[in-house]
Amino acid sequence: MIRKTAIAIALEHIEFDDRIISANGFISRDLFSISDTRPTFYMIGSMGLASSIGLGIALKDPGKKVFVFDGDGNILMNLGSLTTIGSLKPKNLVHVVFDNSVHESTGSQPTNTNFVSIEKIAKACNYNHTFTVRTESNFEKILRKIKKLKGPIMIVVKIQQNDTERSKRISISPVLIKERFMSRW
Amino acid sequence: MKEVIQRKMFDYLLKNKIYNFVGVPDSTMKYFIDQGLKRNRALIATREEEAIGIAVGMSLHFEKTGETISKSQSNSLVFMQNAGFANSMSTITSLVQLYQIPMIFLIGWRGFRENDAPEHAKIGKIQPKLLQTLSLQSMILNEEDWKKSCDWALKLIKEGKSCALIIPREFVD
Repeated sequence: MIRKTAIAIALEHIEFDDRIISANGFISRDLFSISDTRPTFYMIGSMGLASSIGLGIALKDPGKKVFVFDGDGNILMNLGSLTTIGSLKPKNLVHVVFDNSVHESTGSQPTNTNFVSIEKIAKACNYNHTFTVRTESNFEKILRKIKKLKGPIMIVVKIQQNDTERSKRISISPVLIKERFMSRW
Repeated sequence: MKEVIQRKMFDYLLKNKIYNFVGVPDSTMKYFIDQGLKRNRALIATREEEAIGIAVGMSLHFEKTGETISKSQSNSLVFMQNAGFANSMSTITSLVQLYQIPMIFLIGWRGFRENDAPEHAKIGKIQPKLLQTLSLQSMILNEEDWKKSCDWALKLIKEGKSCALIIPREFVD
C-alpha cells in the first residue's frame, strides 16, 4: 500500500465535519491533492507537532472527532507528545501514523521505526487502543472498528516508499489554511 | 516577582480572556503556574515546541462569549524559561508567525543577574537580541507596572499579534 492509497482509504471513513490535522511533507501534499473538502489544518512547517496541534483541538472540542495524519519521522521528533496525549486521554483523538520507515521528502534516509515499534510506544503511553496494519483490507476493517471505540487511538499504517509520483505543494497560504479551518467550527 | 503578584497576574489574564495556559515550568514563575494548576487551567508539556503546538491547536477554537452569539478566538499563553525559548525559535517562525496565530509568550529570564547558574549566562545575555531578531515585541514585567504590561500584551493579542512578557530572575538559589 502506498501513502496516497492509504490516505484515500482513511478519508472514506472520516465524516464530513471531523477535523484533520496533517503533518508536513508528502502527507499534507498527498491529502491536499486527493481531497480538500473537509476541515483540514495542513501543517506545512514545524515538523513533529501535528499530534500536539491535534491534541489542542481535541481538548477544546470534545464533541468532534479529530484525526491526526502523522508520519514516522514526524512523531519520532516529538515522542513526548505521546506521553501528554496518554496522560490527558482525549476520547475523540485518532492518531494515524503513515509509517514508511524513511524520511521520504528529504531523500529517503532511514528512520528508527526500522527497529522500534511506534505502536508499542503508544501502548506504553496509555493510548486506549493501538493497531498496526499492513494491507488495505485490514486498514478498512480497523477504520470501521474504531468508530465504536474511545480514544486516544493509534493506527500505524505500514506503507511502501514511493518516489515515482510526487504530489504538488499546497497552493493555499498558511493564513488561509487557518481561516478556512476556523470558519468550519 | 512576589508570589501574590504572580497569582494576581494569572487571574488578571484569565479574566481578560486568555483561555489556555500551556508550557514548561520555570521556578521564576512558579506561583503563576501554580495558580493555573489550581484553577485547572494550566497544562504542562514535555518541551516548549510541544507546548506551542498544543496552544496553537487550542487557539484554533472559538469561545462563545456571554449569551450573545458573538465569538472570539480562544487565546493562549505559553510559559517557559529562556532556554526553552531558544528551543522554540523554529516553531515560532514556522508555525506561530507563519499562520499568524496571536499568542503571549511568558518567558523567565534566567541569566538576568550575573551570578545566576553558568548554563544560563550565554542565553540570558543574548535573549533581548533573539526577541528582536524574531520581531517579537516584548516587555519586561516588574512588580509596580505588571498590569500595564499585561494590558499592552492583551491589546496586541486583540490586534492578532504575538508578543512576549519577560520575568527577570531577581533571586539566586
